[in-house]
Amino acid sequence: MSDRPILNVWRAEHSYGARKVLRGIDLALRPGEIYALLGPNGAGKSTLVGAICGRLRLSEGEIAINGEDPFKSATARAALGLVPQEIALYGHLTVRENLQAFGRLAGVKGRALADAVQRAMHLTRTIEREHVPVKHLSGGYKRRVNIAAAILHRPALLILDEPTVGVDIDAREALDAVIRNLRDTGVSVLIITHDLDQAGVLADRVGFMREGRKIMEGAPRALIQQAFGEEMEILVHLAAETDSAGEILLAGEGLERQGNANVWAKLDAGGYATAGRLDKRLRKAGLLPREIRVRQPSLQNLFTLVADWRRAA
Amino acid sequence: MTFAMFRVMALELWRDRGALVMTFLLPPLVFLIFSAVFSGATGENIRLDLAVADEARTEDSARLVAALVADPDLRAHAVTAAEVRRLVKAGRADAGLIVRGDPVLSPRPVVVVSDPSRAVAAPLTMARVHQAMGRALPDVLLARTLAETAPAFGGLTPQQQVHAGVALERLEKAPPKPAGDQGLFEREDIAGARKGGGTIAYYAGAVTILFALFSAMHGALTLIDERRSGVADRILAGAAGMAPVINGKFLFLTAQSVVQAIAIFATAQAVYAVPVVQHLPLWTVTTLLVAACAAGLAMAVVVFCKTRDQAQMLSTFVILILAAVGGSMVPRFLMPPWLQTIGWATPHAWAIDAYQAILWRDASLGSVYIAWIVLAGVAAVGLGLAHQAARRIR
Repeated sequence: MSDRPILNVWRAEHSYGARKVLRGIDLALRPGEIYALLGPNGAGKSTLVGAICGRLRLSEGEIAINGEDPFKSATARAALGLVPQEIALYGHLTVRENLQAFGRLAGVKGRALADAVQRAMHLTRTIEREHVPVKHLSGGYKRRVNIAAAILHRPALLILDEPTVGVDIDAREALDAVIRNLRDTGVSVLIITHDLDQAGVLADRVGFMREGRKIMEGAPRALIQQAFGEEMEILVHLAAETDSAGEILLAGEGLERQGNANVWAKLDAGGYATAGRLDKRLRKAGLLPREIRVRQPSLQNLFTLVADWRRAA
Repeated sequence: MTFAMFRVMALELWRDRGALVMTFLLPPLVFLIFSAVFSGATGENIRLDLAVADEARTEDSARLVAALVADPDLRAHAVTAAEVRRLVKAGRADAGLIVRGDPVLSPRPVVVVSDPSRAVAAPLTMARVHQAMGRALPDVLLARTLAETAPAFGGLTPQQQVHAGVALERLEKAPPKPAGDQGLFEREDIAGARKGGGTIAYYAGAVTILFALFSAMHGALTLIDERRSGVADRILAGAAGMAPVINGKFLFLTAQSVVQAIAIFATAQAVYAVPVVQHLPLWTVTTLLVAACAAGLAMAVVVFCKTRDQAQMLSTFVILILAAVGGSMVPRFLMPPWLQTIGWATPHAWAIDAYQAILWRDASLGSVYIAWIVLAGVAAVGLGLAHQAARRIR
């Protein structure tokens, strides 16, 4: 497999009026690579995807798919498949009928179309529902058909916009398997997501975007290792809500409240030993932990860390 | 690619049985209702378009024609007798008048030429002419009355004749008074015209263009749905862009309207004996163009809207205004002249005129080709605008 990037973005800049949404983004995707583009709302991810899909002209910089500008070249656009965030399918049509329609709209004809439909259903594991109207499918199946409809013309680059919105754990795992399947066939995959867990599990590389800039990029494990070294995340799940005295004690232990009021967490290189000592001290102070977990830091920790750095800066 | 979108639209409609039934059963049903409601419709205070000919060429016949031409309640214009019949048959005049004898001396001096499909025009014309004579030629009315009634009294004495002469002179200058029918009129239907069905042919055309546009607007709304559902994003990201989508939808909406027209005119032929099959070639071309015109117009309206709400509001407005002004609701000849003129700016007026010309007046290609050009033009411009706007969506 060639190592020459299928997608290249050089110093991409774009503005809507006076508002700059892309501020010099660089990005390169190699064949068979899964790249997750992460970032909060308003980071510029959708604008970047629009530019990669050839739907908007950059103010500055360049984009090339297989060496050609997707804004100008239909050949470049033919090399990509887009899986929109919405279920972009026709509800009254069956899975097969949808795939046939989108295949034809992508320019696939005759025997090649029949083969492409069959292959897409195999890769996305939707063949057992081929005659079911899409409106009768579960959310997870719809997501898989949504992907199948984007790979009929065998794109070299597949862009998935928030592919796991509204799906349960089982369906997400199935989707991950589908995406890995596609990667194994040589397709480069660009995932736009808020789902840091999925990105951590699936992506070969991730890029964090914030305010139109890419603030960090690399392999998830390497980035986490680089940022946290030997530190582990210690999560304390208290049996009951604590009072202000308890909160002061927890803060004194270096713990920070998480989204759930009873969950507190900290990063510590001591790992399990620290967790054991913490358990004893909390029990002695009358704060009964329901559970204390020790785990590797995740991309979520990294993202929080990066956000804190930038806020501090 | 175009066929792919056509097939998607067809399958979506086929699988939605409620929509399918409404699409193809409602139009003939509405046509039957419209026909029943409006086939006997009449109007008041109508400024009739009258073609008037003076064949008698006497002093009083000239006064009558001049009075009619000057009458503000009429749109009368003087032509030859042959022209009167031609204009009425071609639908270019609501009715015709031929003054064939002297208004005082002849027993039935005026012939009213009318088209049975505009049945209301003949009695209205008679009433209007009577009114005009009462205003401008009361002496003529009195002279006719005297001539008719005097024999019943054994004739007028010399003294009575003197008084009558004075009265006639005075009446020439007296203000007009309303007068009853003095036996002036004899009605003549245009040669070769069928009895009944003219209004039905009118409403078959009127309902066809109304529903063609209605269904096309509804179908074109799927463009908005596709933008909202991400289908447009998916397609736009590919090499082909939106052109096959626009073309596929245009073809489907045209085909859908053709099927609706078949349902409406089949009902018209079965129930009211409107001769559709007998005029199949011209009817087919007209129907194709009406359907394409509605599809093009609908695509152009919808593609410029950003949301479904915008598109629904705008399409409802466009459908109602065009239908009202174009004659889909009330026959155009019953409208004020200025509105009749504006009506030609709608495809409805051209469509209805073409259908009526073909089915009622047995018109040939020469009478409908202008309507065809207009309908085809609207279709082409609409489709072109839709493509133009779709390119901007990217």
